[in-house]
Amino acid sequence: MNISLPLSRVSTSGNSLFSWLLLAPGMLFLAAFLVVPGILLIVLSLHDVDGMLMVLPTYSFSHYIEAFTSAGYIRALGTTLWVAALTAVLCVLLAYPAAWLLVSTRSRAWRTVLYVILISPLLTSVVIRTFAWIVLLAQNGLINDVLRRLGLIDAPLALLWNMKAVIVAYVQVMLPFAVLPLATSLGEIPAALPRASQSLGAGARHTFLHVVLPLTIPGMMSGAIIVFALAAGSYVTPLLIGGRLQPLLPIGIYQQALQIANLPLAAALSLTLLVVTAAIAGVMSYVQKRWERRVYGH
Amino acid sequence: MATDRDFTAPVSSIGWRWLGRVAGGLVYLFLILPVLVIFLSAFSPGAYPQFPPESVSLRWFQAFFDNRAWLKALQVSAWLLLVVTPLTTLLGTTAAYALARLQFRGRDVLQAFVLSPLIIPQVVLGIALLYVLTGMGLSGSLTGLAIGHILVALPYAVRTVSVSLASMDRRLETASMSLGATPAYTFRHVTLPLIKPGIVAGAVFAAVTSFGEVSVSLFLTAPGTVTMPVRIFTYIDQTFDPVVNAVSAIFIVLAVLALVLIERTIGLTKAM
Repeated sequence: MNISLPLSRVSTSGNSLFSWLLLAPGMLFLAAFLVVPGILLIVLSLHDVDGMLMVLPTYSFSHYIEAFTSAGYIRALGTTLWVAALTAVLCVLLAYPAAWLLVSTRSRAWRTVLYVILISPLLTSVVIRTFAWIVLLAQNGLINDVLRRLGLIDAPLALLWNMKAVIVAYVQVMLPFAVLPLATSLGEIPAALPRASQSLGAGARHTFLHVVLPLTIPGMMSGAIIVFALAAGSYVTPLLIGGRLQPLLPIGIYQQALQIANLPLAAALSLTLLVVTAAIAGVMSYVQKRWERRVYGH
Repeated sequence: MATDRDFTAPVSSIGWRWLGRVAGGLVYLFLILPVLVIFLSAFSPGAYPQFPPESVSLRWFQAFFDNRAWLKALQVSAWLLLVVTPLTTLLGTTAAYALARLQFRGRDVLQAFVLSPLIIPQVVLGIALLYVLTGMGLSGSLTGLAIGHILVALPYAVRTVSVSLASMDRRLETASMSLGATPAYTFRHVTLPLIKPGIVAGAVFAAVTSFGEVSVSLFLTAPGTVTMPVRIFTYIDQTFDPVVNAVSAIFIVLAVLALVLIERTIGLTKAM
């Protein structure tokens, strides 16, 4: 998926007042339900709370101080970023052969099959995809059942409720976001380029490392940025597969907001998460732009 | 040309190609695995599925349709889908058209802003909306849930309509207006029919997103407004209800339906 639109650069005239009018409803909606809530969230995060978690009219940085001085939240932020980064790297590694297969498949029917496999997860609720992993990994789930019937294990393995299971499910849930931009990148390489490299005597591996790979770095980066941002911000999959005790910040925020009902602290934690992931995604996209300029010269 | 390639390419490149193909195939198997698991468990007679399956049963589907609470959740989800889909399509189509036709400084920023709900952490969207909607007295209401769903689905609608707009011949609009048609008349009778595939695909994405949305909904739901995904979430989180098996299969069937519609409109290759 691209986080940009295929917009034209051709100037237009005459109907611009009409276009501005059409822009208005969408912008008003986003202003009311994205911008205003965002601003109010910042204000909320600065409100103090009393012992009963009632919001007080006074302001301070108390929740940010709590977030940055409590070992628990610092560790949760670190674990969240580490898990998101690992998920992004694994997704890009697995995306490479998948994207290559998609681009190099000549048969239309097979290519449609591959596209169906790639797009269908995006149309299926994340709860459903997560549930499938529980059916697979549970104590009396499919994997344990098959292993036991093959006589490979006596007692069921504890496959669920750990971070490894969370990462496996994350990778599966987010893989299409890494495959699609990479496939676009691979598809845009003119067939003549690798052929020229090989006819000049370079081996397949040399051609891949020095011609194909550098040209696909932008596609890999787009995928990595989306996967990283999604993995750092979601709580449904880790909560259901890893359990409520996993030290991940989104789980902590969910519990603070809905179970403990300390909304100002939840607001401060979620803004911290937003700023940190946005900063990392921003650096990644800067590196991507620099690389694009280096490889394509514009 | 083809033979010339065979002479220069080293023998090992054939091996690499097959290795790549097998690795790619395995990745697709990994991607499709959960869907297969869900179908296996939906039609299995036991609470936990077995592999290979020993018999086929529809008892979980029966249990679903016998359960009032599940049917109520289906009703809530269906209501939301019917409200969210047209509104999202309307907002998405108009915004995509304006973004494609207007030229101004800051348009790229505005575009990033419109698409931003895609990558803003969903806990952040959830808490922000919960706080504001509580202030408006809409927390836990169907209206509040609809607002949340539109926010999450809007970027998808804008994207698919933009794809159609980008491939449309703009000289047709110019021709219409040079013949004296107003911008509104041109939009209605020239542009809209031409970008219909993108609009339909956008509506499909909006419907599917609304029907499957859980991360933001969990913040905005109340006992009277539990959607299907929220109910599934609480069931997996607290107990294990095998009815979820059948519910999951229903979701997969809807996804397949959506796939067919997207392929028939803008095509799967352009969907994302």
